[in-house]
Amino acid sequence: MSEQEKQLELLQGTLDLLILKAVSLGPLHGYGVLLRIQQISGQALVIQQGSLYPALYRLEHQGVIASEWGESDNNRKAKFYSLTAAGNLRLSEETEKWNRMSVLMGNILLATASAVPEQA
Amino acid sequence: MKRLRLLLARLAAQPKSWFRAITHRSRLESDMEAELANHLELLTADLIRAGHTPAEAHRNARLSLGSAVATKDGMRQSLGLRLWDDLAADLRYGARILLRSPGFTSIAVLSLALAIGANTTIFSLAKQLLYDRLAVPNPGDLRMLHWVGDGKEVISSMWGDFDAGPKGTTNSSVFSYPVYLQLRGANQSLQDLLAFKEESMNATVRDNAKRVNAAMVSGNYFAVLQVPAQFGRTLQPADDAQQGQGAVAVISDGLWQRDFDRSPNVLGQTLKLNQTIVTIVGVAPRRFTGAKNVQSSPDIFIPLSLQPVVLPKGANQSLLDDTGMWWLNVEGRLKPGVSDQQAQSALDVQLAAAIRATMSPKSDQTLPRLVLEEGSRGLHFTDGTFRKPIYVLITFTGLVLLLACANVANLLLARGAQRQREMSVRLAMGAGRARIVRQLLTESLMMAALGGSGGLMLAYLGRNVLPSLLTNAWDDKSLQVPFDWGVFAFTAALTVLTGILFGLAPAWIIGRTDAGRTLQETSKTSSRRRKGLTGRSIVIFQISLSTLLVVGAGLFLRTVVALNSVDVGFQPDHLLLFDVSPPAKRYPAGQDVLLHARIERAIAAIPGVEHVSPGWVPYMASSMSNETFDPEGEPRRPKSAEDVNAVGNDFFATMHIPMVAGRDFGPQDTTTSAKVAIINQSLARARFPHANPIGKRFQTDERVNAPWITIIGICADTRYMNLRDEPPPQFFLPFIQQKEIGTMVYQVRSQLPVDSLIPSLRRTVAAIDPDLPLVDIRTQQQQIDANMQIERTFAALTSGFGLLALSLACVGIYGVMAYSVANRTNEIGIRLALGAVRGQVLGMILRESTWLSLAGVAVGLAAALFLAGLVKSMLYGLQPYDPVSLIFGAILILAVGLIASWIPARRAAGIQPMAALRHE
Repeated sequence: MSEQEKQLELLQGTLDLLILKAVSLGPLHGYGVLLRIQQISGQALVIQQGSLYPALYRLEHQGVIASEWGESDNNRKAKFYSLTAAGNLRLSEETEKWNRMSVLMGNILLATASAVPEQA
Repeated sequence: MKRLRLLLARLAAQPKSWFRAITHRSRLESDMEAELANHLELLTADLIRAGHTPAEAHRNARLSLGSAVATKDGMRQSLGLRLWDDLAADLRYGARILLRSPGFTSIAVLSLALAIGANTTIFSLAKQLLYDRLAVPNPGDLRMLHWVGDGKEVISSMWGDFDAGPKGTTNSSVFSYPVYLQLRGANQSLQDLLAFKEESMNATVRDNAKRVNAAMVSGNYFAVLQVPAQFGRTLQPADDAQQGQGAVAVISDGLWQRDFDRSPNVLGQTLKLNQTIVTIVGVAPRRFTGAKNVQSSPDIFIPLSLQPVVLPKGANQSLLDDTGMWWLNVEGRLKPGVSDQQAQSALDVQLAAAIRATMSPKSDQTLPRLVLEEGSRGLHFTDGTFRKPIYVLITFTGLVLLLACANVANLLLARGAQRQREMSVRLAMGAGRARIVRQLLTESLMMAALGGSGGLMLAYLGRNVLPSLLTNAWDDKSLQVPFDWGVFAFTAALTVLTGILFGLAPAWIIGRTDAGRTLQETSKTSSRRRKGLTGRSIVIFQISLSTLLVVGAGLFLRTVVALNSVDVGFQPDHLLLFDVSPPAKRYPAGQDVLLHARIERAIAAIPGVEHVSPGWVPYMASSMSNETFDPEGEPRRPKSAEDVNAVGNDFFATMHIPMVAGRDFGPQDTTTSAKVAIINQSLARARFPHANPIGKRFQTDERVNAPWITIIGICADTRYMNLRDEPPPQFFLPFIQQKEIGTMVYQVRSQLPVDSLIPSLRRTVAAIDPDLPLVDIRTQQQQIDANMQIERTFAALTSGFGLLALSLACVGIYGVMAYSVANRTNEIGIRLALGAVRGQVLGMILRESTWLSLAGVAVGLAAALFLAGLVKSMLYGLQPYDPVSLIFGAILILAVGLIASWIPARRAAGIQPMAALRHE
């Protein structure tokens, strides 16, 4: 249970970005996407597995990832997702947005009373 | 930039993905299944590897993935399938509901089908007559040349259309050939100008003499219209190059079909047109109808250069050199970048120059002003005749549709009350209100779709009924109403509109159901008042619409009755009419008179023929002819023309027109005897108010040495062009004393049946000239009927719509009263238990329905009074506020209301008190 406490709930709206990032590193099946996100985050993120697949379908519907049936590690047929050209574009744009937002949030949260300009 | 590219990629990807999902649905479902199963398997394997027991691993894996049903639902929603799935479910459910009450469904669908079918039929007719454009590329560029004169214009001889405008002005679309050539040479604002003249001619096609509609066209006609031949070639400028030459013809698709059975050997074959042999060089496209109108095509197109040969006219046969006769229609395409205004002013100047170059206007004569008019619908002469009748019919059918919608809405409301519990249960179980409204709308739209397809089918079957009602009985070329995508789109739109119209209100009201309250409700606490009120106002609305339609039908019916009882002044029974047109080439002036005299004698000799007389003008055929009438010793009046008819000596006996004074024409009146005339009473009154006209002389020609004609008799008045107009002044001349006579209509009086008379007439005329067809054979009665065709069609259609309206109102009243009685079973039971007599109950229900009817009739009569004024010009012999139609309509509706509520009232009176009180 102590390990659980260290884990973070996913911020709203960030699952799409994480999936795009995970898939950008190489084609993955659904379970693989889950594993890769957890692995990169050092098991620090909780992902609702039920919401993973609707998200995958949504992204494919929007044309930013593509899927193909192939062999998985256990020699089963599995659906592999990979990033499309449009997906690449989206990933870079979302990454940039995220970076700006996190710097902004950081600055705002670091602000002290003296740093706020006086209102005349 | 990046965003735009992303947006575009998304817009491209989504429909593709959605469509793939729809079309490969079962594959999608199994893929989703497989993917989730795979996930579970891998997760379980990992959990076992991490030290869980298999059973535990299975359980945990399933727990962390969550409900497979919910996940799959989320996946489907990601693909945008939710709406689609809901719709499919709605449709399935709707179909079950519709099938569950087949009686209800069939009444609703049938009334919708009738209403939508009527609307579609009228629309297709309106489209054809009022909106369709010529079947040529870019018809919108076409401009027809017209001119307007002030009454003193230089043009005195015209052969073609002209309208008398306000204040003595003349509006016409015909030009002389020399003026056309001048305009064509000078014109720079339109593309090349074409000219044409459509005229009926005698044709002998494969030994079969018949009357055809021929178009004489300039050589550039097909080029300017941008119409290629569907087979062979079109006419070229070279065909039209030399007067009297170019004996070639392009035939219409219709003629190719009728007379050549679409044989490819048609090219090079010849046909005789007014005795001239022309060679067929091509077939016009199927939908091409020429430049003049959209409704029917000329059968044959020949070069204008043939006019002097095929249709010689005027002093020296040729109209192509004639500067005085105006007879040609002229049309061109607007050049890009030139406005109508610019083109019109440029052409106006050019017309004035052309007239000065070809005619020598006197000082008191004026030049006409040129006017450019839209040519995309030809001369659109159907507008004048049909615009108003069609608008009235559209209004009628629109009201019928509204009535049908109200009817279905009412039925839906009544049924909605029964379904209230179902709705409450669905609401209680968590269905959204919007979802329920959508479900109900889906049902309405399904019903509308069924009605719409039925209506389309009815309209398709009936598409040729209306045109046959609008054209002459003896015309073989009936109007074809095309059934095209425009009509289909109209019906589809109408169907959706009706579905929403009749479905929305009930859906809204039922959708507002309060779940908690209705579930507790029993019939004793039902909020009857509010729901009843909605149904009642719909019924009042229905009754007022029906009143309006019935009164309208009454007005048109009474118009026909009034027209039928008009005394035409002659005896129309047992009179057969037909036309004979001797071609001028074979029968030049003088010879034609002799030919008609010969035919007259031959027909008079047929056994069974009592009387025969040829004449210029058939009665009640909207045709007229007038000539100058200048009595001796009176100053010349500027406009002294009177209606004239040149007739055989036996005319008055043939028509049974009584002589009032003087003598009839007789054998003593011959080519060489003194010229005589008979006038009718109106003419005698108008021109000789204070003197005895018999023995007076007059001239029909302005020339000084023109012959004097002596009046020898006065006959009774007759109607002339149509049944509506009072008998005009007329005078009659013996045709035998005319220099030139042309086409004549034969009136044959015989008791023989028409079917045996016609062959002997044909034989008799063929014996004189086998190339002379008998044209437009009809009885005088048919001619009169044709003259009131529109009125009769109107009466028939509006009565049909009126009947439909009555039956719809009947269903509406019955529905509402039956519902009301069912709801009041308890109350009525109590009344009966407390001693009410059954007659009182019966009266109570009938009174209730009569109040509804009275309210509806009052509103309907008010609307009828208001609207009837608009159709005043279409009525005859009665005022728009015709009391007979109004009172009869009102009584009819009240009676129908009583009959419709009789069954529910009887049911109410027959209620057993004990059963009613137990009834819940």
